[in-house]
Amino acid sequence: MWYGFAGKLLRVNLTSGEFKVEELDKNELRKYMGCVGYAARLLYQEMPGGIDPLAPEAKVVLATGAVTGTLCPSGGSYEVCYKSPLTGTWNQARSGGAFGPKLKYAGFDFVVIEGKAEEPVYVYIHDGEVEIKPAKHLWGLNVEETTDALIRELDDPEISVAAIGQAGENGVLYAALINDRGRAAGRGGIGAVFGSKNLKAVVVNGRGGIKVARPKEFAEAVEKAEQWLKNYPFGSIPSLGTVGLVSLNNSLGILPTKNFQTAHFEKADQISGELLNRKYQIKRRACYGCSFACGRYTSVGSGKFATPPMEGPEYETVDMLGPICGVADLEAIIRGNYLCNVYGLDTISTGMSIAFAMECYEKGLLTDRDTEGMPLRWGDGEVMVKLVEKIAHREGIGALLAQGVKRMAEQLGPAAEEAAIHVKGLELPAHEPRSESKVLAVQYAVSPRGGCHMHPNWASTWDFGQLDCGMKEFGIPWPPTGMQDESPQKGVVYRYVALQGEISEILGACIFYSWGTEGSCITPQLYAEIVSALTGWDVTAAELMTAAERSWNLKRCFNAREGFTRKDDKLPGRFAQAIPDGPSAGARVENLDAMLDAYYEAMGWDRQTGLPAPEKLRELGLEFAIN
Amino acid sequence: MSKVLVVDPSLCTGCHRCEMWCSLTKYGEINPSRSNVYVIRREPAVDVPVVCMQCGLCIDVCPTGALKRDGATDAVVVDENICTGCGTCVKVCPYGVLRVDEETEVAAKCDLCSGSPACVNHCPHGALRYEDAGKAAARRREIWAMAHGVRIR
Repeated sequence: MWYGFAGKLLRVNLTSGEFKVEELDKNELRKYMGCVGYAARLLYQEMPGGIDPLAPEAKVVLATGAVTGTLCPSGGSYEVCYKSPLTGTWNQARSGGAFGPKLKYAGFDFVVIEGKAEEPVYVYIHDGEVEIKPAKHLWGLNVEETTDALIRELDDPEISVAAIGQAGENGVLYAALINDRGRAAGRGGIGAVFGSKNLKAVVVNGRGGIKVARPKEFAEAVEKAEQWLKNYPFGSIPSLGTVGLVSLNNSLGILPTKNFQTAHFEKADQISGELLNRKYQIKRRACYGCSFACGRYTSVGSGKFATPPMEGPEYETVDMLGPICGVADLEAIIRGNYLCNVYGLDTISTGMSIAFAMECYEKGLLTDRDTEGMPLRWGDGEVMVKLVEKIAHREGIGALLAQGVKRMAEQLGPAAEEAAIHVKGLELPAHEPRSESKVLAVQYAVSPRGGCHMHPNWASTWDFGQLDCGMKEFGIPWPPTGMQDESPQKGVVYRYVALQGEISEILGACIFYSWGTEGSCITPQLYAEIVSALTGWDVTAAELMTAAERSWNLKRCFNAREGFTRKDDKLPGRFAQAIPDGPSAGARVENLDAMLDAYYEAMGWDRQTGLPAPEKLRELGLEFAIN
Repeated sequence: MSKVLVVDPSLCTGCHRCEMWCSLTKYGEINPSRSNVYVIRREPAVDVPVVCMQCGLCIDVCPTGALKRDGATDAVVVDENICTGCGTCVKVCPYGVLRVDEETEVAAKCDLCSGSPACVNHCPHGALRYEDAGKAAARRREIWAMAHGVRIR
């Protein structure tokens, strides 16, 4: 009998057209807790180093965790784990919506996708049954059209569809997988991986429930979480949506602008969350099981940027298609967001690639000849929208942009390198490491999927947010020393921040709920109460920490096998230069190396290589990952 | 006067927590397909919780007399010892809020949790309420009229 989990793994081989259902081993699952922890073990053991992420040998794991699809308020998530074609590193792309919960209700915790179909297919998983069905008629359709066609074809409006659009089919290296029309497993190019496998979509639905080991105790723990979350410190996220952060971040000088040339945007009031909510919002929308409902349904009614109703844009998207490109037209941003969703593009990498091209154009590294006469000037919303179209179809200059900033810079030469804002090939998101938080600088440098602020956590919680997230009892240094401090302590702090966030990742939870303190968020201690009552496993917060550490180390080992070491844990050169103007003028990153030294040491990793020491791996029971 | 359930779809975010609380309360598991409140979430931007009106049409058609009105809450409740799971009530329900549970094989419907509905107690945005019947009737009129009125743009 399984509680909390479905207890099954589905293995689909697209080459042979066969599938296999495997029973999960309880002890092995508990060791990693589930979701990305268990997926890291699967991919580490089953996918040898050096495999081309777009080759048939590459595997993809769709992963849910203990709390996915349950009443735990953060349980709307699933994660797609794979080797990124954009970075060559481990990647995990999280998404909300209904897909994760419905996969579990269909009877599976994990789906492993292998091989490559001869012709386009989709996988239909419902109530324990699996069908690999032809998708030739769907190839070339966008995400919206595909979703609608599948609802009609399968005659079930309750299905959840995770599909790729034209961007994934065309191999854009940062193409996304979009579920429930507007929720993106965005980063790292999973859409291109699906496209390379001729896999158009995975469709799920099920009437199976999730059994609860101790229902009364579980209800009490969930009620406690509901109460605590009423005191959530980032109240603007539920009330205004993430886009509410635009005004705040701009006033603090931490809103990346013009390809990170500066950190404030003079026209920020024209793209604010307040304006979006007042003028374009249709309604608030929640992921499955979420009590916050930070999602926004918006549309532009008429004009050249008119859109049908669509989820978003989120904070990241508004900055990336807005200030990062100098664009101050909210309607252009909503249109750009809509196109990214229907074509299946990561809005962050898309915006950053456009901004990079604009800077190159400004510097004369790209000319009208490269762009077929289209000037790529800062702030031109129409050009931004046109470029999104061109990227998705790899058309004209879009073919260059579709490769991401790192490869573009390699082609444009050394003068372009200075403007290439990425770590390990992943374009940076909308958080400024020079002025927002120096722990964030550490995170950008070491994050397993490259320049990422979210996996496994938002590093700035500690010194920007002044929050301990329940980590005081585990020894997180307290109180915070200030955002600009670059002492080695920042490296030590990141160990705690990362492992606390990794708990959400291994449970299949949304990390928004883990930002706070006791009484205002879901701390590791409260997660332990919820998971214990749910699974009957009696897990402690310390056990969750150990499982998180296992997962975190395994991802590092996965990357090590691909050749990534300390030498790759670096920031774009621009961050050593001061922010030139605005409220945070003068801020820069000077002592990354000292912070990294402290971080590796705190993790039990070798300082020279930045890799987990054999003793650490033995301590965690990960002998198989010792090289 | 007793209380009744009332729904305001404009406040619903489509989170489905009411369905999960319902199934947890009734069956000790989390399973929206074993819920007696139904959230219809469609694109674009439709989120509507559908609940039993406790109208009692099902009482009249039940061939075994398994459906009765509870004296305390006025809810229509299923006597599981008498119900044969024939599904006549499901056929006749105008709102589609009755079902034959696949595991227990008897009719299942909202019984207002004996006067403390779990869905209402946990709705994060007040889209579901358990209100005094007079007040609820006024709110129902309002929502019914607005839903059918011509929107002037």
